[in-house]
Amino acid sequence: MEVDYAAFRREVTEFARTRCPPEIRAVVATYRKLSRKIWQPWQQILHAHGWGAPSWPKRFGGTGWDPQQRHIFDEVMAENDCPPQYHHGLRHIGPVIIEFGTPEQQARFLPGILSGEDWWCQGYSEPGAGSDLASLRTAARREGDDYIVDGQKTWTSHAHESDWMYTLVRTAKEAKKQQGITMLLIPLDSPGITIRPIRTIDGWHHVNEVFLDKVRVPVANRIGEEGEGWTYGKFLLERERLGGANVAPALKNLERTRELVAQELTGETHRAKRAALELRLLLAEAELRGALALGKEAVAAVMEGRPLGLLPSVLKLSTSVTHQHVAEVAMDAVGERLAPRFRRIDGSGPNAEAPGIEWVQNYMYMRVRTIYGGSSEVQKNVIAKQLFGS
Amino acid sequence: MPFTASPLVGGDAYEMAQRLALEADAELSALSEAGEQAACLRRHWDAIAGLGWMATMVAEDAGGAGGDLSDVAALACGAGRGGLPLPIATACVVTPALLAAASARDMLAQVAEGSARICLILPDAAQDPGAAGLRFDRTLEGGVVGVETPPDPTHLLLATAAGELLLLPVDSSGITQNLSLRIDGRLAADWHCAGVAVAPDQVLARGIADHVARARDLGALLTCIEGVSAMGAIIEQTIAFLSDRVQFNAPLASYQALRHRVAEMYVEYENLRGLVAHALREAAAADALPWRDIAFAKLRLGEAGRLVAHETIQMHGGMGLTEGVAAIRLARRVMMAEFEFGDRSFQASRLLAQAA
Ligand SMILES: Cc1cc2nc3c(=O)[nH]c(=O)nc-3n(C[C@H](O)[C@H](O)[C@H](O)COP(=O)(O)OP(=O)(O)OC[C@H]3O[C@@H](n4cnc5c(N)ncnc54)[C@H](O)[C@@H]3O)c2cc1C
Repeated sequence: MEVDYAAFRREVTEFARTRCPPEIRAVVATYRKLSRKIWQPWQQILHAHGWGAPSWPKRFGGTGWDPQQRHIFDEVMAENDCPPQYHHGLRHIGPVIIEFGTPEQQARFLPGILSGEDWWCQGYSEPGAGSDLASLRTAARREGDDYIVDGQKTWTSHAHESDWMYTLVRTAKEAKKQQGITMLLIPLDSPGITIRPIRTIDGWHHVNEVFLDKVRVPVANRIGEEGEGWTYGKFLLERERLGGANVAPALKNLERTRELVAQELTGETHRAKRAALELRLLLAEAELRGALALGKEAVAAVMEGRPLGLLPSVLKLSTSVTHQHVAEVAMDAVGERLAPRFRRIDGSGPNAEAPGIEWVQNYMYMRVRTIYGGSSEVQKNVIAKQLFGS
Repeated sequence: MPFTASPLVGGDAYEMAQRLALEADAELSALSEAGEQAACLRRHWDAIAGLGWMATMVAEDAGGAGGDLSDVAALACGAGRGGLPLPIATACVVTPALLAAASARDMLAQVAEGSARICLILPDAAQDPGAAGLRFDRTLEGGVVGVETPPDPTHLLLATAAGELLLLPVDSSGITQNLSLRIDGRLAADWHCAGVAVAPDQVLARGIADHVARARDLGALLTCIEGVSAMGAIIEQTIAFLSDRVQFNAPLASYQALRHRVAEMYVEYENLRGLVAHALREAAAADALPWRDIAFAKLRLGEAGRLVAHETIQMHGGMGLTEGVAAIRLARRVMMAEFEFGDRSFQASRLLAQAA
């Protein structure tokens, strides 16, 4: 059946504008921190409409949309300040469970993800295993129908507000370190788990350390085969390769920063500075337009079943840096009045009484763009390896 | 031997300041509440006051030590390496210079002994968009935001655009304050004035706009000195981190891509160091302050400082996003320095105006 993409876009736009609560859109529009409190009701609204899982097949409650439709959906959401869907359940572990989970696991876990009732986080990174994830050491040994898990995860986003953690653990020491890794689904209220917040420079709470001390995890919570976790982990990352094709959030960001510059730097005194910042934004826009065009090519390639090649790495590298440039312009516009008012002396969080403080937080936070999800250096290694053929 | 940065101005005062700054940093980073940190800052302020830091540039006959710029520069170098979150440039140089210009001897003596803790408001201090700026016309009205301040300020020293210098106790009727911590952990205050009466003797001077401009440049120079020190320490600590951290069975320091990045940080640092050392020499030697050299240095601090700050964050990976790492706290100090005593755009405008 031919899809009328223009009509689809209109339908999604109408939905975004009328059904996403204004208070939720306001959080996105002002860069306030997205937490489960914001995400969950939005997921419930989408689910009630049958749009809970744009990337899942219909038989699991997904929409069955094609990549082009999914791309349009993501784009329209960003254009209208609707939160991007919470990724850990829907985009990460959900598809893995669909592909490799048992029917029992599918029946047990997918409905909660779809309805937004269960909240998931990703326990991959460890203190000693970041870019080199395969060197992870958190160990699980078999004891009857359980695994006993010991070790530490770190940088675990949202662990403090999650019910479940999907994680990679070591079940055997093999010659090749990608082998002997197993994927387990661990309830975060299991005895032996301690979650400690990590204080980050932006003043928001996203990441945590998760300590696992003799945590008992039923074998029934293992995905696929023991020792094959790396394959499932890679599948998960590859599913995300089109993520960078959505340039809409970056463009939205740019537009908002442009408004900020105009509001913040008025009159003759600020004329030169305003012009300089506007020029930097224009240069960023030029780059984003390039990325936008590449994003469209990537979606077309997926639609036609052609390989993506280096496009995902190229998109990730360039948009993450442009995001940072735009955030720097914002910081230059507001820094003098807001960077000094970061934390109130009588509170421990960011200074809610300094209007616009999120611009400063966002500038700090944006540094992570080139670090997580495959750092810039790692992306460059991937690109160079392919370009040089070795 | 890995790189160790050498100070622009070394010596005993430098060593002492560095020790003190590192102690303060260790204490502060163990505290999580902003209020506790503010109390800790007060203790360290009292300590440096007791050591006579604020008396350094005050003339001997006004109760000071009668030192020169290089004496304060040594303190700023040492303090900068630990990112000491106290207003060194303002308290040790800018404020004393303005009080001296106004011949306010009593106040200078109090500053020198540390009993007066002055929050200095320069003419174009920040304000929120749409809010009324601070105006003086017999009374003081309006507000400014995010002004760096010593802990528990006792006085406001206000330099107006018209060249007046006013000094008021902070508990004067009609003045309200709101304290925050900046991104670099220093204290800042928002001030709001409503019908604040100014007595004739509270106007310390008139027609001293030139002195104000000069004092601001001194502040910018000191900020550059601190910034260079912080950047040197950041580079050292980045090298140490990369040498220790192993990924893919090898220290990160063995990856050429990262080694080159550190080399780039170093080139930026050296370039700035050269420029600041030159400005400092010129400032010490000449009668008139070399404002052009200082403006160029401050301009470069904005560029080079940000590069070094961003790079150290990047090379620390996830750790680069945390407050727990000393190099990252220093990076925030360097990021903040851009907005002190005129940002890049301010410096560029005056340089361009002069060239026109
Ligand atoms: C805010 C935030 C949220 C996160 N959320 C999660 C989460 O939910 N779940 C999870 O599992 N993880 C999460 N992470 C972790 C993230 O994936 C890691 O930070 C990332 O993989 C980098 O690892 P690392 O921090 O150990 O840095 P390292 O791997 O130690 O890297 C340090 C630096 O060295 C560079 N480098 C590494 N190897 C090479 C090489 N071979 N050549 C050149 N340069 C190299 C890196 O690019 C980086 O600049 C999060 C991190 C942050 C900061």
